[in-house]
Amino acid sequence: MQTARQQDRQTLVAAVHNATKQYPGVLALDDVDFEIHQGEVRALLGKNGAGKSTLIRLLTGATVPDSGEVTIDGAALTGSGTQRTVESARLGVRAVYQELSLIVGMSIAENLFLGRWPSSMGVLSHGEMEHQARETLARLGLKLDPRRRVATLSPAERQLVEIARVMIGEPKLVILDEPTSSLAAAEVALLFKAVRSLAAAGIAVIYVSHRMSEIRQIAEAATVMRDGRVAGTVEVAGADTAEIIRLMLGHSEQKDRLVGEARGGDTVLSVRHLAVPPKLAGVSFDLKRGEVLGFAGLLGSGRTELLRAIGGLDAVRAGTVLLDEKDITRGSYGERVKSGIGMTPESRKEDGIMPLLGVDENTVATDFSKVAVNGVISASKMAEAAGDTIRRIGIKTARIDTPVGTLSGGNQQKVVIGRWIYAGSRILLLDEPTRGVDVEAKSQIYALIRRLAGEGKSIIFVSSEIEELPKVCDRVLVLKDGGFVQEFVAPGIETDALMAACL
Amino acid sequence: MSATTTTSSRRRRFRLLALDMNEIGLIVILLLLYFGFGATTNGFLSANNHLSLLRDAASIAIAAWAVTLIIIAGEIDVSVGPMVAFTSVCLAFMLKADVNVALAILAALAIGGALGTFAGSLRAYFGVPSFVATLGLWSALRGMSFFTTNALPVTFPANAFLDILADKILGIPTSAIVMLVLFAIFSFISQKTAYGRSIFAVGGNANAAELCGINVARIRVLIFTTSGVMAALAGVLLTARLGSGNAGTASGLEFDVIAAVVIGGTALSGGRGSMLGTLLGVFVITLIGNGLVLRGINPFFQEVVRGVIIVAAVLANILVTRYRERRIFGA
Repeated sequence: MQTARQQDRQTLVAAVHNATKQYPGVLALDDVDFEIHQGEVRALLGKNGAGKSTLIRLLTGATVPDSGEVTIDGAALTGSGTQRTVESARLGVRAVYQELSLIVGMSIAENLFLGRWPSSMGVLSHGEMEHQARETLARLGLKLDPRRRVATLSPAERQLVEIARVMIGEPKLVILDEPTSSLAAAEVALLFKAVRSLAAAGIAVIYVSHRMSEIRQIAEAATVMRDGRVAGTVEVAGADTAEIIRLMLGHSEQKDRLVGEARGGDTVLSVRHLAVPPKLAGVSFDLKRGEVLGFAGLLGSGRTELLRAIGGLDAVRAGTVLLDEKDITRGSYGERVKSGIGMTPESRKEDGIMPLLGVDENTVATDFSKVAVNGVISASKMAEAAGDTIRRIGIKTARIDTPVGTLSGGNQQKVVIGRWIYAGSRILLLDEPTRGVDVEAKSQIYALIRRLAGEGKSIIFVSSEIEELPKVCDRVLVLKDGGFVQEFVAPGIETDALMAACL
Repeated sequence: MSATTTTSSRRRRFRLLALDMNEIGLIVILLLLYFGFGATTNGFLSANNHLSLLRDAASIAIAAWAVTLIIIAGEIDVSVGPMVAFTSVCLAFMLKADVNVALAILAALAIGGALGTFAGSLRAYFGVPSFVATLGLWSALRGMSFFTTNALPVTFPANAFLDILADKILGIPTSAIVMLVLFAIFSFISQKTAYGRSIFAVGGNANAAELCGINVARIRVLIFTTSGVMAALAGVLLTARLGSGNAGTASGLEFDVIAAVVIGGTALSGGRGSMLGTLLGVFVITLIGNGLVLRGINPFFQEVVRGVIIVAAVLANILVTRYRERRIFGA
């Protein structure tokens, strides 16, 4: 066993040498070396922006390094543009991303061979295709009928079909990007079985994940990235979680905290035993007046689902939501908005802004009646209301009716928050309010959140960037395995302890 | 900051009169068409032809105001022609049965509104694409009209009120006056009311509008209700003009209406559009149709011209949108 593994170890599948990649304002990769061998399962970890995605993109050929070399199966990638991705795919690199790319109306077999269906003279040979599909599924230990339509499969089964798809055409290196984030715990075992089959067939696997329990089960070694560099590669068996966290965070000091002592008045929102299958089993917490409450948790831990359930956007299986001791669990989203809850979505572009409308109309859309006289919208009242919001929130815009789609991400986010300030909401549910905004805008948004809390608003702040939670939150709850596992109260919320609770 | 606020509000106050590039382009095209036909076609510039131009414009425009709202909301309504015919037949049957004229007209409008509400509800609450919902109406209503009338005109006793609708007031066709009054009302609704602005919000980004607390489903129903009522009103005016209810009338009107809206610069993808644009679009369609008739072009070939114009207009619209988005949002 040991010798067989040593044998494999000598067969290098992919190597990155001295790779550097500079994007405007960001050094995404800084002189990175990375090697992976046949039959190896390697975990890849790192915070948002640590350089994981760029490293993956180097391997798939989607990104060309400014300097350095990428070698797949002994051959250096030389092309540019789509030519490079084709080259990398031909040499055997396959990636499975979080967003599934299956065509749900087609069968498993058709999806496996998408675009490369076995055919003779332009006529598909269904028998041949199903036969090959059955073999591929069997190699992964999957008992799925290749004739089933993908629409009838569970999320886990779809994920497995994605993995089966990369098996077509002799892969050498398979990259799985947070493959379990959309899976329930029971389904993860199926995925692991498939990953082990890949490794047993001599395929190298890069497994991007932050769930330590999973990494311990599936990977031999873990490579941790930080600030565009490889912070270290450790044997999973010998490494404790604290060491991996230290590699991920480095020795960062918390110097820019905006919170001193935890504050908060009377309880305004009270959630009891809230269940939203399959992600949330039963969650309870209180939100106080003037408090910033953070939700931490890994991708797929149910943060967004919890927020949507509190906001009335998703049906609740069990439990209660009390606003000022009044039961609003069955109330609609619209009723919650009227009673003072405002929500900003995770994806600003898709769900947040109306890009063609001005800052003014994006702001007053939460309540036209406040700027209307006898049902007619008053231009001066709207300008006044929008101007007031722009000043209070600090939105940078040339004019009040500039289309919001033209503003920077940070200013768009401020508009999305500002419309609830205009509407007079008392409770703000902010889902990833700093995603995709620049550093300066981030600190402005932190300051804004603290100021709003000071004015007596209660805020739930959801973030996947764990180090921003201690900066702004009075209290942080960690979501894991369907419920809250730990509570942290300021002062004394430490990023590494938070992260340890999440993993 | 206060300076910014004043200039912007001033600009918005006069927005009804402010023209954008697309509208200026349309005015130029209209002038070219008008003087082109005027110089080359006998009878085009006659007073009678101007009245007929106005009447033709009204028959398209009244339905087009509501369809503009529908397209701004990102939806489509292809049921206009059969809706006009069906309400016209209904009205004629009622008048034939000696129902009071005011009551009959109100009933016809209510029928249009109810049918529109039905299509809108299918879209809003069941997720049936509006194209399919209104295509169903398109077929069912045309069929119903022929079925109930045996394809024969439904005549009714002469009626003083309908005569006024068919005639002129101060030398202007009544239908044209109705058209212009509704133009003012719809411009106002689309620019100055929560209903109107919500339509733009829903068309621009329905998810975001929903999260703002806008009742997206209700907006989607209401626009189709509005469209049904406006098509019925067009049916009433047409019945008055023809003096009978006709199952085969207003054939292909939905295409003229959609073409007018799209030529007017309203984005088929939703979120952008104006009543003024539609008004100009209506006149472009009307002028071309009228000019081709006066020049004696084969009526079958006129259909070909109409098809080419619709596709060309949509193409131009897409190119303008693409250019504008590149300018606004960067490449």
